[in-house]
Amino acid sequence: MKLLAYLRSLLAAVRHRNEEDHDLDEEFLAHIQRHVDDLERSGVPRADAERQARLAFGGYARVKEECREERGGFWFESLWKDVHFALRMLYKNPGFTGVAVITLALGIGANAAIFSVVRGVLLRPLANQDEDRLLYLRQSVTGDDDTAFSVPEIKDIGANLKTIEELGTMSQLDFTVVGLGQPREISAGVADGNYFEVMGLKPVIGRLLNPGDDGPNAAGAVVLTYRFWSTSLQSDPNVLGKTVRLGSFEGTRSATIIGVVEPSVPYPVETQIIANIVTSPHHLSATMVQGRVHRMTEVFARLAPGAELESARAELNTVYAGMLAAHPEVYKPSDHYQITVTRMHDQINSRASTILWVLFAASGLLFVIACSNVANLFLARTVRREPELALRSALGATTAVLRRSLLAEALVLCGTGLLAGVLIAAPMVTVLGRYAARFSVRAVGLTLDSSLLWIGVALALLAAVFLAFVPRLPSADTSKGFGISSSSVRITGGSRRRLRIFAVTQITASFLLLAGAGALLRTLLVLQRTQPPFETAQVLAVNLPVMTDGRTPEQVGEFYREAQRRVATLLGVERVSTGFATPWRDARFLNLGFSFAIQGAQRENALDDPRARFRSVSPGFFETMGVPILQGRDFDEHDRDGAERVVIINQSVAKQLFPGQDPVNRELHWTDPVMRFIGISYEPRRIIAVVPDLDDQNLIPSQAMTIYQPTNQEGWNSRLFVRAKTDPYVLVPAITRTIHEIAADQPVEHASTLNDIRAEVMTPDRLNAVVFGGFASLALLISVVGVAGVLAFSVSGRTREFGIRLALGASPRHVLTDVLVEGLVMATIGVTTGAVVGFLSVRAIAKYTADFQVPGTLPLVASAVLILAAALIASALPAARAARVDAVQALRAE
Amino acid sequence: MNPQADLLPGTLDLLILKAVSLGSLHGYGILLRIEQISRGALLIEQGALYPALFRLVRQGYLKASWGTSDNNRRAKYYELTAAGRKRLREEEEGWNRLVAAMTWALGSEAVQS
Repeated sequence: MKLLAYLRSLLAAVRHRNEEDHDLDEEFLAHIQRHVDDLERSGVPRADAERQARLAFGGYARVKEECREERGGFWFESLWKDVHFALRMLYKNPGFTGVAVITLALGIGANAAIFSVVRGVLLRPLANQDEDRLLYLRQSVTGDDDTAFSVPEIKDIGANLKTIEELGTMSQLDFTVVGLGQPREISAGVADGNYFEVMGLKPVIGRLLNPGDDGPNAAGAVVLTYRFWSTSLQSDPNVLGKTVRLGSFEGTRSATIIGVVEPSVPYPVETQIIANIVTSPHHLSATMVQGRVHRMTEVFARLAPGAELESARAELNTVYAGMLAAHPEVYKPSDHYQITVTRMHDQINSRASTILWVLFAASGLLFVIACSNVANLFLARTVRREPELALRSALGATTAVLRRSLLAEALVLCGTGLLAGVLIAAPMVTVLGRYAARFSVRAVGLTLDSSLLWIGVALALLAAVFLAFVPRLPSADTSKGFGISSSSVRITGGSRRRLRIFAVTQITASFLLLAGAGALLRTLLVLQRTQPPFETAQVLAVNLPVMTDGRTPEQVGEFYREAQRRVATLLGVERVSTGFATPWRDARFLNLGFSFAIQGAQRENALDDPRARFRSVSPGFFETMGVPILQGRDFDEHDRDGAERVVIINQSVAKQLFPGQDPVNRELHWTDPVMRFIGISYEPRRIIAVVPDLDDQNLIPSQAMTIYQPTNQEGWNSRLFVRAKTDPYVLVPAITRTIHEIAADQPVEHASTLNDIRAEVMTPDRLNAVVFGGFASLALLISVVGVAGVLAFSVSGRTREFGIRLALGASPRHVLTDVLVEGLVMATIGVTTGAVVGFLSVRAIAKYTADFQVPGTLPLVASAVLILAAALIASALPAARAARVDAVQALRAE
Repeated sequence: MNPQADLLPGTLDLLILKAVSLGSLHGYGILLRIEQISRGALLIEQGALYPALFRLVRQGYLKASWGTSDNNRRAKYYELTAAGRKRLREEEEGWNRLVAAMTWALGSEAVQS
């Protein structure tokens, strides 16, 4: 009750300040009038009565003040007044205000943006129900530390677990979908009936897969992901019940769309639809069901109620060890098979964690730079205002009151900085989100939310309090050096030292950021300068996914040959060929590599065989790419199924396995156990040609053994490569039309030149450089302002000294050099400290991660030079002012 | 100067509550009422009255409202709230106990000596 009344009066006080002020006057004046009336009635003359009444009432303004104080909300009201005062003061100093606000805006904005991303990507819980009980299972083998599971393995591991409620499995597959708009190839997951239950996901409309959808006799069923449904299908609810044809590499099946799953993070790959097992003939094949090393299934698990992660780990390890022991022929002890169990949340964040926290630290550094910079300005200003503050103090203002007025000023600065900061944070979140999407799927749908504002407000308040409490205040004891007597500013040693430390800190931090950014920029430049080993500008790559719908493998092969023939006749087409992987883009296929052996070679066992990248290309591929054949002949129409099996090798194979010999007409054969599952035979193959190394996987070409097979012998078609005489993109409509003439349902997708694909792949590196470069430039900018500010202040404080020196005959150039040297010394100390700190931290980091690049000498030297140059420029202005000091005026000012 | 007594600290609130308990009053009226009920023995510093009134309003013991006075002038009237009435009772009891104790204490000294 009391509290309520208090709050109400407080609120009223703040809200109706003017109104109540008026009321106070009215009440007091009425009081005095009554007293006057009474006095007059008792015979006092009117003029006397008025005087007496006023005297009796006491100090009118003081009473009013006391009443306000009693009424509550007084402190805020005074602060409000201080804010008004501060606004006026800051308005009169646009230079100071502008610099301080911009600096704070950058510091606050960058931090708020990064925090938004960190929160969105790392801290926010997943949408899955009880996400902390959701686990992700992987296994590792020597040479491959992150592998999925095979169906027999899942059966062995998943039986009778006590700590795990249920396992859910899913494997990724590309389906060619007919019946949802244009026929197209989309990334899909093939999941069992427990998958959604384990993942803890609910449908938005319709239903999800359940155990009733398992087994070879179930009807085909498809669940759409929310993203796909809302973006590609415009959230059309009528899509439920629709029948679609799903084509995968072993045949086509029909399926009905049964539901849409709620928005969730796709992991480990982005999938657009999730279908039951019956939709993929491959999943029902013996290869899948019985192949113990056919590992393509992701395993998710849900902890049983009451079970802990550690106990689940222990149980799974035991079960896994049992499985290893039962199949010694597959699990050789030398391969060190291991199972890993992680929380889904941690697994998703694992890649983003480090980089985002590093970024967060970098932005924290930026905030420190910004705050110390503004603190410097603020400190300098307060020192200059000392006479004013001392005067106010002498007139009875308490320390609390002075502090409050400083706080008001800091609040105004930080508040304005916050507004500007939020404005720049919004676009920063977009850039950072794209950047983070490289490490975490969670960053894909990242949006702005109010947390950005809240963190900004918190930072602004923090900065304001810090700023308000940095300057010393005049105390009643004037012996401490403050006083209103001295008209010129004298900087105390303490203040000056603090200013220098702040400035050096800024330089150190900027140097570190700049060196990091320099290293990243260099990486980018190297990438951009590197010439790809084959033609990229004139070559168009088009996705032509396999359509198996009712066609024999021969018919599929014929389709690709026919497509090549017809596209080749188009005007402006120079050469056409097919293959199965687009350079740089199709990372999954480009990664394929198998072990092989050359005929007649001494072999211990299959494990020691060399591995080569596997590529399947049609005749004319090398010509399309503008690569010469060094020895032998290209594939031709006669290299078909049934004919002699042939391969082309690259120079690396020739050099490593046939040193000093002619490899042409020698034979090799695949030895990899995986071959059995992908329909490629172990028969010997004759080498018919040698081509140069053309790395289609890495942006910086490396030498890797590669073996090319003709598409006409064992299939593996899905990409069309067209070398154009003129602008390749002009050809796209004609190519699409031509393909649809052969097969109307055939998807024709993602046409782009190899040049553009390369640029697209380089985007992350560009973003890397942009993000860190942006940070570093901001830091540099702020530091330059900081150094200039400190020097300007130091010069203005030393006006008298300069005046005397000039009067005694020192040349202006001496004074100029003096100030410049002061700036350079600060910069040098900063850079040296930065180099030492950087060196130590690089050594510390190198202990934890191997793939950490030490920035080369060039970026380091360049950043140091840049910083010193910036410091020199920053010192120039104050130095020039110092040299122009008029000796007479400076001395008279004393 | 005259037989008027200085106010003990803390007694102003009690006096105001007492004065208002006899009927709602404006500020000047409270002054007169206190003078009247203390038979002119207590002098209130006028400047101290209003802060005390505002304090009592904030604490919820008094309620203020604008009205018209006898001579048709707008005036702010103060009256007791329920909490104020209770507070007045408690303060009165406390005061009476204090007076009794003080009287005892001071009186006993006279007997002994």
